[in-house]
Amino acid sequence: MVITYLEAIRAAQAAALRDDKRVFIYGQDVGVFGGAFKATKNLAQEFPGRVIDSPISEDAMIGMAVGAAVSGMRPILEVQFADFSTLALNQIVNQAATHYWRTGVPCPITVRLPSGGTSGSGPFHSQSMEALYAHYPGLVVMAPATVQDAYEMLLAAVAIDDPVIYCEHKYLYYHLKADDLFTEPPVPVGKARIARAGRDLSIVTYSAMVHEALAVADELAKEKIEIEVVDLRTVKPLDTDSIVASVSRTGRLLCVGEAFPWGGVTAEVVARVASEGFNLLDAPPMRLNAKDTPVPYHPNLWAAHRPTARSIADAARRLLRM
Amino acid sequence: MPAIPIIMPQLGESIAEATIINLLVKPGDLVVTDQDLMEVETNKATMNVASPCPGRVSKVLAKVNESYPVGAVLGYLEASVEDAERLGLSETTATTAPDFGHGAEPQHAPEHEKPRQVVKPTVRGLPVPVNAAGASYMSPRMKARMLELGLHAADLAGLPGSGAAGRVTIKDFEYFIANLEQHKLTQASSMRVAVADAMRRSWTRPLATVALPVCFDPLLAHRKTCQPKPGPALYALRALALALAENSAPAGRLIGSHIVHPSSIDVGFAVEAPEGVLVPVIRQANEKPLKVLVERYDELIRLAHQRKLPGDATGGSIATVTNFGTFGLTWATPIPLPEQTIVLGMGAARRVPSWDDAQGQFVPVMEANVTLSFDHRVLDGGAAGRLLARVAQLLATPTEL
Amino acid sequence: MAPVDAVIAIEKVSVKAFRLMLLARMLDDKFASLYRMGKIHGGVFLGRGQEALSVASGLSLRPGDLFAPLIRDTAGRLAFGEDLVDAVRTYLGSGLGPMRGRDGNVHRGEPRKGVYAMISHLGAMISVINGGLMAHRFTGKTGSVGLASMGDGATSTGAFHEGLNQAAVERLPLVLVVANNCYAYSTPNDRQFACKTLLARAAGYGVEGVEFDGTDLEESLDKVNGAVQRARAGGGPQLVIANLLRLCGHGEHDDASYVDADLKSSAVGRDCLKVAEDQLRQEGLLTPETLTQWREEAARDIENVVAQVQREPGPDPYQEDWSALATKSLVETQWPS
Repeated sequence: MVITYLEAIRAAQAAALRDDKRVFIYGQDVGVFGGAFKATKNLAQEFPGRVIDSPISEDAMIGMAVGAAVSGMRPILEVQFADFSTLALNQIVNQAATHYWRTGVPCPITVRLPSGGTSGSGPFHSQSMEALYAHYPGLVVMAPATVQDAYEMLLAAVAIDDPVIYCEHKYLYYHLKADDLFTEPPVPVGKARIARAGRDLSIVTYSAMVHEALAVADELAKEKIEIEVVDLRTVKPLDTDSIVASVSRTGRLLCVGEAFPWGGVTAEVVARVASEGFNLLDAPPMRLNAKDTPVPYHPNLWAAHRPTARSIADAARRLLRM
Repeated sequence: MPAIPIIMPQLGESIAEATIINLLVKPGDLVVTDQDLMEVETNKATMNVASPCPGRVSKVLAKVNESYPVGAVLGYLEASVEDAERLGLSETTATTAPDFGHGAEPQHAPEHEKPRQVVKPTVRGLPVPVNAAGASYMSPRMKARMLELGLHAADLAGLPGSGAAGRVTIKDFEYFIANLEQHKLTQASSMRVAVADAMRRSWTRPLATVALPVCFDPLLAHRKTCQPKPGPALYALRALALALAENSAPAGRLIGSHIVHPSSIDVGFAVEAPEGVLVPVIRQANEKPLKVLVERYDELIRLAHQRKLPGDATGGSIATVTNFGTFGLTWATPIPLPEQTIVLGMGAARRVPSWDDAQGQFVPVMEANVTLSFDHRVLDGGAAGRLLARVAQLLATPTEL
Repeated sequence: MAPVDAVIAIEKVSVKAFRLMLLARMLDDKFASLYRMGKIHGGVFLGRGQEALSVASGLSLRPGDLFAPLIRDTAGRLAFGEDLVDAVRTYLGSGLGPMRGRDGNVHRGEPRKGVYAMISHLGAMISVINGGLMAHRFTGKTGSVGLASMGDGATSTGAFHEGLNQAAVERLPLVLVVANNCYAYSTPNDRQFACKTLLARAAGYGVEGVEFDGTDLEESLDKVNGAVQRARAGGGPQLVIANLLRLCGHGEHDDASYVDADLKSSAVGRDCLKVAEDQLRQEGLLTPETLTQWREEAARDIENVVAQVQREPGPDPYQEDWSALATKSLVETQWPS
């Protein structure tokens, strides 16, 4: 059996709908059409009345989910593109994120954000929003990189009593395949995973960049360089212990993210390693991000805008020479 | 009767103060709860300050047309104990109402929770050592690991690095440490470790040495007439003390942009003790003649050999004399102590031919090299040379010492 | 035809409503006093002039319904069952109140009892009510309604549009009560919207609408209750527009000097409490003696609660757990303090 990242997301939603009566799915085109990316294909038919098309009203989508969640439901929202979630920013960061803290009543919503770049998608269908949401207290932010995590973490997101921003990578939808849903022992939510062990350099990353980092590790292994790849899985909470432990093994940190460079997840990782693992560093902690421009449309520009196996390998070599 | 404060209220989210424009009550007036007491004006609106409870106005502190910050006490009411109690307005609770919402620090914070002192940065951030060149660059991890093992940069002097510009990486270092186990290792004495530490610290400065051959015949002749006989180093010590008494600047230390001048001519001398060197000090060596100093000098040598130097004979000296001639050596470049700028060295005296103008021929003389090693930041060759020449001149007339 | 349990004896209700309005007005006045004593840390926002409409909202609902009150709903909150002490504790920031000092003044609610705690962003509560009603639909809970309060200003937000449209698409039993009090803070109606009346919006969303004089208690009770009953009976969302005037500043920091004097002296500027009092007198339901007695009772209740809460300790920052997540295992503990 071969299962894609997208099919895992669909399967997780089907399992959630099947096993938990409180679950429903709400979003634009998610009903009979099956979603812009087919992440809810056939679910409306399989679970009548529980997979509901929303008007193009991101703010009201999330607001509705909040109201349903605090009244006992477990809604899953599909925002058609992560980029459009800015239209719901108020409901996410002011309503959902503050609700438990203010009232003591949990707000268990899962917001699925089809994230990240694919060639030709341009400035408004390519963004990675995880840093924006991680900035706000009261949210859990996930960025699964594997088929198994896509499945298990989505189910975990639904089960968690807090609002979860689930950043699923659009490039991985069809490109990432696994032989089975379950190939590795499960890792608890909030814990990072050592995707590949090594002792020369730690590449800490998440989502699609995990696969670019693994490609770099393969390439550099031919030069007898052993790279450790840490897959963060959730960016909030950030598993600082695992990151610092990895840097203690290697002495070198390269943090890679597909998002814009200013601030963000990679900056947070570097800041934490600098303050909590300063004495573990044998070289300056480095980060590699997309360029500080909107995401470009043409494939030539797009490929140069975001980190790639090639640019990560260059950065790794530079760091290893220090 | 409890005195209840009348407080300037927070009259708007961003309002920090308000101006009193009208007093509606005066001391002695009876007021009821919620009664308007004063009219105040903010930059947003005009409104009233209300009475927190029934009572008599006992004091009005606020003045018309004056501005007061939010929370300021504008006056006092005398209220009944029952009212104060019922409304939670006892004097203490009224004045310590916490106001965490406006940037104030919580009161009664436990000691460890008190906010830390904010340190204002004096530089615009530290340089990030990307591409730092040379073996001198040590990563935070290298520094931490060396600290853990009690090692210093000098210990790694012989270790080639594989990092940028040959710097020693943590991998190089751990390999080096692991390999040490394959060699014979003995424990260095604590004295050896202490001397090593002093030498390392001294070596952080640019050191230079000047030297002068000095005829020792007058000194040796004088020495024969003395009982007890002063050690040759004592002559040099006394000569150096007198020279420094004339001008102490060459023994000054450079700290930042200041020269720190010596306050007393206390001069030390090196004595070889088991496993290292000790430096007893003779205080105010410029004040006492040689014959007086001999006894103290001999006593200090004896105590040094026993490693029982008294506290008043150690530390605080401004220069040191070392007689490397004791070992038959004629030339050396001693290293000044870390806290000193100069060290005077004496080589072994040898009989050498010396041209005698009067006789028109070479004559045999006893001659020894006298060296002066110095911190080149403080002294130049000329100043060091002048000091050394003056010492040589004094040594030529030992009866004056 | 309304269901049997919806038939209300209007006289009995108007007396109850009047007493609640009186209590709300006096409680608001107390908050204003406490504010001017420096006892309240944040702002104070009053419902003066809007009590008739607000109380009608609260009384039209029943347990199991959902209510998203806004800033001028002291009367409606009390009518829907809010305890006086919760209101006072929230204003004074007591750690014992429903918001535990974490949020204050009008930002209070008890979602488990169907009262949502408003956020400051206007219009944002409409879709939240919609969600609660969707939850009722999913769980087979029938006959409930959700009522969201707002002002004329909120009708200009995107959230208002999205929320009302969403309710209309889902045909939810939402009652959107708009208190058109002529000003959004200082902005008058003619700078807020260009339609002749906000009621015109109902047609645009395909929902039913009703507009009336919000200074009139009996009119308010009748019209709001009617809208609630229509929603309850499956009539879909209801837009309720009540015209009235805010008889105070936006908050107590605002002296409302910008309010047009002509408006104040016009019919819309009537004090609904006075109007209600006159109505009850004319109907023989109120004598000067009973009014005095009700005032005294309300004043006593308020005084007792305020005195009690003023004695209560504020929240302790060193006891606060400082975690915004319900899932404690996911709380990050790395932050230096």
